Amino acid sequence: MNGAGVMQEAGEMAGQAAAVSHEVADISPLGMTAAYLLLIIPLAIILWKRIGLLRGAIVSVLRMSVQLLFVGLYLQVIFRLNNPWLNAGWVLLMIAVADVSIARGCDLRVGRIALPLFFALLTGTAIPLAVFVGLIVRRPMLLDAQYVIPIGGMILGNCLRADIVGIRTFFDSIRKGEKAYANSLAQGAGQAEALEPYTREATRAALAPTIATIATIGLVALPGMMTGVILGGAAPMTAIKYQIAIMIAIFSGTASTVYLALRFAANTTFNDYGLLDHGIFKGRDE
Amino acid sequence: MTSITHTPPAIEIENLAVTFAGKPVIRDFSLRIQRGEKVLLAGASGTGKTTVLRCILGLCVPDAGIIRIDGEELTRRSVWRLRHRLGYVAQEPDLGGGRVREVIERPLAYRANAHLRKNIERVGALLERLLLPDDVLGKQAGALSGGEKQRIALLSVLLLDRPILLLDEPSSALDKAAKEAVSELLASQPERTILSVSHEAAWASFSDRSIELPPAPNNNQPGGTSARGGQL
Repeated sequence: MNGAGVMQEAGEMAGQAAAVSHEVADISPLGMTAAYLLLIIPLAIILWKRIGLLRGAIVSVLRMSVQLLFVGLYLQVIFRLNNPWLNAGWVLLMIAVADVSIARGCDLRVGRIALPLFFALLTGTAIPLAVFVGLIVRRPMLLDAQYVIPIGGMILGNCLRADIVGIRTFFDSIRKGEKAYANSLAQGAGQAEALEPYTREATRAALAPTIATIATIGLVALPGMMTGVILGGAAPMTAIKYQIAIMIAIFSGTASTVYLALRFAANTTFNDYGLLDHGIFKGRDE
Repeated sequence: MTSITHTPPAIEIENLAVTFAGKPVIRDFSLRIQRGEKVLLAGASGTGKTTVLRCILGLCVPDAGIIRIDGEELTRRSVWRLRHRLGYVAQEPDLGGGRVREVIERPLAYRANAHLRKNIERVGALLERLLLPDDVLGKQAGALSGGEKQRIALLSVLLLDRPILLLDEPSSALDKAAKEAVSELLASQPERTILSVSHEAAWASFSDRSIELPPAPNNNQPGGTSARGGQL
């Protein structure tokens, strides 16, 4: 499930959740055909300007359609059953998918980083998710499918991008500054102290885009969740409250997962002497 | 002399063996350095002199052999504590970012060095002895010359009051006057154990004795790479 898909899906779900005045207008097959007809514009530009992205664009649209159809069908079942265990299982599956995507996106060996990353994502997502469902919208059932799945997906989708940036920056900077890192160890630094400059740089790189997004939200674009809530028939002020809450939840989740991912990853990517194990990088035989 | 015979050597290495990518670099190397000794580690390029220093610091994990610091074996558990007895100046020190003042203050901020924070008062005197001007403290560390970096790295290590110093070509980028200043400063500290790697003749005279590292079995050492457990 990619980030955009999650956002869109989440927007629609939250829209349904917040619906108070009227139901969302369903899209007929003819309407969906009209939506696909809109593809003529980008595809025509790609062909006309010989951009060379025709195949990629078509494959992407097909993938998106199949993925969302599959997720839609599955979610319908999950929503109908609304079983807390099943809902928790779905969230765990989303975390596992995000986990592998992040490890791959960082060019690290999945087997070496997946476990610490999984626990970082689990903790970093669970806390803002529990606060959102339990304290902000105050649902009696914490694992209510209608809330926990879209909100969890939104938090996770944003963590995914931030974690890739953070983890990549961390390992890039430590490889570049390995002599300085070794010097810190030789000067008596504990591992966390020696890693501190690299952790700080990585966390800054990971959080900067989220902070920039928060600052421009509403001015540059109406975000997916707010759009979904409005389409769901809620008053704009309700939609705005949802949007503010979700942005803070995303920020909280992003900061937690980045911090925890770097912290936990240090336990499995450095040996007992505090030395970086280069075997974690793909394409190296050490 | 009685005290020396009853105290363990400052550094003891037994049958050290290091390989890089399956190729042996150091094989069956042993040495003993008593407390207060100044020893020069000599040998042709690529014989693994830097690797020996890095193994002592636990920055390179050997394939075989035992290293003891003050009689205590260097292991994955003891390495963190034993590093607090060692001071290291690399051949081309990477001082990290920031101004020289921050570079000097940074190690004193580490938890393990908290009791040494007052040593910052010695900076002025050390700058003078190392022929460095006071205003060097305000310069960016990255903008220093090679010789200035070496002397700042040495100054920083001296502030940590380590009983054992490991110096890798500490005078390679120094002019004649600076070399003499560094040599005099180190020679004036009889209590410190110093193991240094150097090609300088002056350094040989400053040392109590010299140990020749035999040529590497295949004489094909990749520079600065560690054996097992990573590359630093």
